[in-house]
Amino acid sequence: MAVVVADKLVKKFKDVKALRGLSFTAEKGKLVVVAGPNGAGKTTSIRILTTNLKPDSGKAEVLGFDVTMDYREVRRRIFYVPQDYAPFIDLTPIEYAVSTLMSRGFSYSEAKRRAREWLDLVGLAQVNRTMRQLSGGQIRRVIVATALASEAEALFLDEPTSGIDVEARREVWRALRERVRGGTCILMTTHDMGEAEAIADKVVVVDKGLALYEGSPRDLVSKVPFTHRAVVRKSPALKLDHAVDLGDRLIVYFRSRQEFDSFVGSLEDPSLLLSASSVGLEDAFILLLGGGVA
Amino acid sequence: MSALWRIIGVAYWQFLQWRRQWTWLAQSLVGLFGFSVLLFAWGGVAGLKHAIVASMVAGSWGIGLNIVGQMIGWQKVEKQYEFYVASPLSLTEYYLGVVLGQLPFFIVEVLSPAVIALLLGVKYEALPALTLVVLLALLLGSFSSLTIVLRIKNPMNISAVTNPLYTLTATLPPVFYPMTVLPQPLRPLALIFPTVPLAELARWATGTAETCLQPSTALALTAFWLALSTIALRGVLKWGLEE
Repeated sequence: MAVVVADKLVKKFKDVKALRGLSFTAEKGKLVVVAGPNGAGKTTSIRILTTNLKPDSGKAEVLGFDVTMDYREVRRRIFYVPQDYAPFIDLTPIEYAVSTLMSRGFSYSEAKRRAREWLDLVGLAQVNRTMRQLSGGQIRRVIVATALASEAEALFLDEPTSGIDVEARREVWRALRERVRGGTCILMTTHDMGEAEAIADKVVVVDKGLALYEGSPRDLVSKVPFTHRAVVRKSPALKLDHAVDLGDRLIVYFRSRQEFDSFVGSLEDPSLLLSASSVGLEDAFILLLGGGVA
Repeated sequence: MSALWRIIGVAYWQFLQWRRQWTWLAQSLVGLFGFSVLLFAWGGVAGLKHAIVASMVAGSWGIGLNIVGQMIGWQKVEKQYEFYVASPLSLTEYYLGVVLGQLPFFIVEVLSPAVIALLLGVKYEALPALTLVVLLALLLGSFSSLTIVLRIKNPMNISAVTNPLYTLTATLPPVFYPMTVLPQPLRPLALIFPTVPLAELARWATGTAETCLQPSTALALTAFWLALSTIALRGVLKWGLEE
């Protein structure tokens, strides 16, 4: 069942066309990542779906309700965390979560019970310092825990893990996956393809206001005409067909394991090879956007 | 019932912050005490009684203009506003929650002077009219502030605008002094400040000083300012679905 439907969304800001007919869906019990470069239209689409912005044309539905006509119904059922949302306030995590849940209509006792339960899951129920004194990662965990405690049917998270360390990010991922398992639909944006690969059920790659790809991360990777990649030091001795220039280094792509093995075997200086791996979502993303690979 | 919890939720957020930043409240309380002593020293009971009634109007106007206006302005910049839009909260509930969250300031800036005013002999019968004036001051103060604050793009400018605006509207025109003090030709000019008819109404209701403005005129002017600020506010105070 499609929880979120974006159908040919168009949005213009003065002379800039942020969305040029963006379409995609997000289903119940799925975590959908909207990925794309800066200015691709990720935030604009999320702001439309959360009833903050009105589209110029096209249609958007959340849980079967039109976001412009039935916006009250939509608002009752969603939870939205805007990009760079970090309330630097003198509230402890429990106070923040309780007041936020109350502002959504929960009674004080119910809000407190839910806040404790979910803050406990991210290890912050006992923290008695104010949000102002917490690290960026802790603040993000508090916000995500509050979103999860709200029992909203659809969560919209605009770059919920930006600027936080790897360990904290994994705790957020764990909490999100936990909620998805319970049937919630989560739509989030990210720049980080590693993150999308790790947690997304579906990826929507957006560029210049249009969806270039919609499907599973694995399917997107399988579309890449390469299987392996290596990072090597730049050297005049290297003759390469498919490489991305990183200044004094190169990312080199190979069409098969054999091609990769023969490249490694041909290296006169083995120290030129810095790392090697299978191609991943980041490579697929770059290829899809049409940049970099020679 | 859940609408009430939503309002309390927004208020609780604000209230908890003031509890931790209690020095703001302490400053207001010390200001009220010092101000009262100063006025008593120079103007006796009559001077104090007059100014304490005016300070209720100025205090309520200041809560609306400076605190409510700034709070909403900052929440807009910090995306808390956007966060609230995408929730079951309505614009009216949000506004009421923000206002209710300033209750500690109300106690210091409005209720405390009200107690002093009663002790100084202001009649209980004047309280309903005074309460209405105080509420109008709050409403008008916040609306006036928001029409300006919500047009500010640079967040650093919010308090740089509301603080001078308060000084301009509460200390310069005849708020703490009666309009009759001004020379005749200046009196109509004073009416460009929305605080003036409110202060004159409060003086009329409590009988603390002679007023040269008819209560009906003061009420009409207040209604005019309220209508004007509401119209101006409608253009900027949107609850989502922005074009």
